[in-house]
Amino acid sequence: MSVRKIVTVVEEIRAEGGRALDRPARIAVVAAVIENPWAGQGFVEDLTPGIDAHASDLGALLAPAVLDALEAPAEAYGKAAIVGLDGEIEHGSGLIHTLKFGDHFRKAANATTLLPAVEKRGPAGVVFDIPLKHITDATIRSHHQTVEVRLSDAPHPNEIVIALAAAAQGRPQQRLAPLSTEQ
Amino acid sequence: MQERMDHFDESIGLRKLVLYRDVVLTEAGAAPAQPARRASVAAVIRNPWAGTGPTADLSREQKRIAPVLASLLTGRLVAALGGVDEIESFGKAAIVGTAGEIEHAGALIHTPYFGNLVREFLQGESIICFADTRAEAGETLVVPLWHKTHASTRSHYQTISARVSDAPRADEIVVVAAASTGPRPHPRIGDRMTDPVVTTETLEVVAS
Repeated sequence: MSVRKIVTVVEEIRAEGGRALDRPARIAVVAAVIENPWAGQGFVEDLTPGIDAHASDLGALLAPAVLDALEAPAEAYGKAAIVGLDGEIEHGSGLIHTLKFGDHFRKAANATTLLPAVEKRGPAGVVFDIPLKHITDATIRSHHQTVEVRLSDAPHPNEIVIALAAAAQGRPQQRLAPLSTEQ
Repeated sequence: MQERMDHFDESIGLRKLVLYRDVVLTEAGAAPAQPARRASVAAVIRNPWAGTGPTADLSREQKRIAPVLASLLTGRLVAALGGVDEIESFGKAAIVGTAGEIEHAGALIHTPYFGNLVREFLQGESIICFADTRAEAGETLVVPLWHKTHASTRSHYQTISARVSDAPRADEIVVVAAASTGPRPHPRIGDRMTDPVVTTETLEVVAS
């Protein structure tokens, strides 16, 4: 797997809605910029060999890195695949929508739910939002949130950005009634 | 682990901090001889001069706020890059929201209350290069970096982008400190010591 660079973004929110938080709200993202394994090959019918060759390595690279960056246990998480202009969204989806990728994060974070995801094709510098949900119960409304990311020079047309995001808490100043109150 | 809210948050109107760090593993298909980690740390604060006019005295607030930002931002940079000894180049920047003046951004980064302290915390000697602008939230600012003790070291001329998705609001200022642990991925454009003398007379062909 050819990795061009690794980007880490950590947001720490101290106040929201004009009020200080009891403790800082942290969200971390780690993104790897890789060469699209199917670049230049035309329409590849069977993506399985490429997925098998790279998805697990990407999960093993990103999962510990994003938890290190968060410096706290993860309570919510999400993932992203942003494909350069010459690739198919199917290429990015192939690398992240497999247990071979996500199980690294689930195991490292003691998580059980599916990872919410963004898949998108765009030019270098494209802005993308990674959705996050609770790591053991995707219905926990307080933890539905997103983090916005931009890498200044990626993905190139023949590249894919693969990212994981982790939050140490729900939304800052979360105060919505839980789903159960409406059932 | 998450610390308790620091006491200075309220006093400087701190809303959020954003760290951006990258490491280039391959560039143009080859690994750099000296892989550099680069990072920027951005603090979003309330513009203490929002609503004041062009004759307002900026000195009292800059003296109070800028040292806190210098300490906060350099502390995060040093932690993100593995120690102050690792840092070889540095830069600074500010983005003022649309209800403020560019002078407000300058007041927080262009005086000794920020610059001298950033230089001291990062153990540098050079003047610190900078970028500043007034913009809407989400603007990307390219922050220049150069060597912290030998500013003319050409291998270390580089930039890093800083961006906060929802800042600055009109009445906020984003203040940035940035640093790198090494040069560009494959520096090979010489240096002042190796340059020939270049003037219009030494060149055979100069566009007129």
